[in-house]
Amino acid sequence: MHIHQYEKLWLGMSLLLIVGFIATITYGAVGVGVSMVDDSGGNVDPNALDEHPEFSDPGVQKVGENEYEVYVVARQFIFQPDPIVVPANSTVTFYVTSADVIHGFAVVGTNANTMVIPGEVAEITVEVNEPNEYGIVCHEYCGSGHHTMEGLLRVVPEGEYNASDGGSQ
Amino acid sequence: MSRGVPAVEEESEPDAGEQSVSAPVTQEEPERELTHEEFDPKGTLALILMYFAILVVMWVFMYFIEFLGNDLVVVG
Ligand SMILES: [Cu+2]
Repeated sequence: MHIHQYEKLWLGMSLLLIVGFIATITYGAVGVGVSMVDDSGGNVDPNALDEHPEFSDPGVQKVGENEYEVYVVARQFIFQPDPIVVPANSTVTFYVTSADVIHGFAVVGTNANTMVIPGEVAEITVEVNEPNEYGIVCHEYCGSGHHTMEGLLRVVPEGEYNASDGGSQ
Repeated sequence: MSRGVPAVEEESEPDAGEQSVSAPVTQEEPERELTHEEFDPKGTLALILMYFAILVVMWVFMYFIEFLGNDLVVVG
């Protein structure tokens, strides 16, 4: 079979593009450490969140040097706590679950985004840098008030963060 | 050489000069056949290279700037 030289060029470049795409994803996963939301958050009884050690009083906890855990309950049509307050330049792990129906949890304009399923805990760890304010929206239709369901994530300077009140300032 | 679809009313004698509209005016063999390598669509090549360049630029922009450059990269 005779293949025209332009076709050979195009085939070669196409293969190169595919190799490039795969290399990009590999770099993201191995080099930068980008990861996906998986089932590592575990399960919880959505009808007994008020008896859960963490979700009964959702909020921010300091778990290490510059490391924080945030327990978030999504329910029709709010996020608890609201606002979520964390200090700048820290590593924050969100544990998000739902008390009723499927919700979404998206920190607007960022890559922090997950589905929130009753009975499941979505776990996302992010690095927060500069002080900033982000909106949080629900992106799964969850009922008549879905379009009003929003929260706030405030990243405050380290000095302004009051660890004792669990970020509910 | 086909002369195209015959007229529906075959009885009416077609004019001797009438030809299918899609047929070339002169129904002769081309004067010269191009060989495989002589067929050289430079314009098509240029267009495809342009598309390729756009793909590469969008790929770099979307992954490295829009995705990795975003705040709150998910690391776990
Ligand atoms: Cu919703």
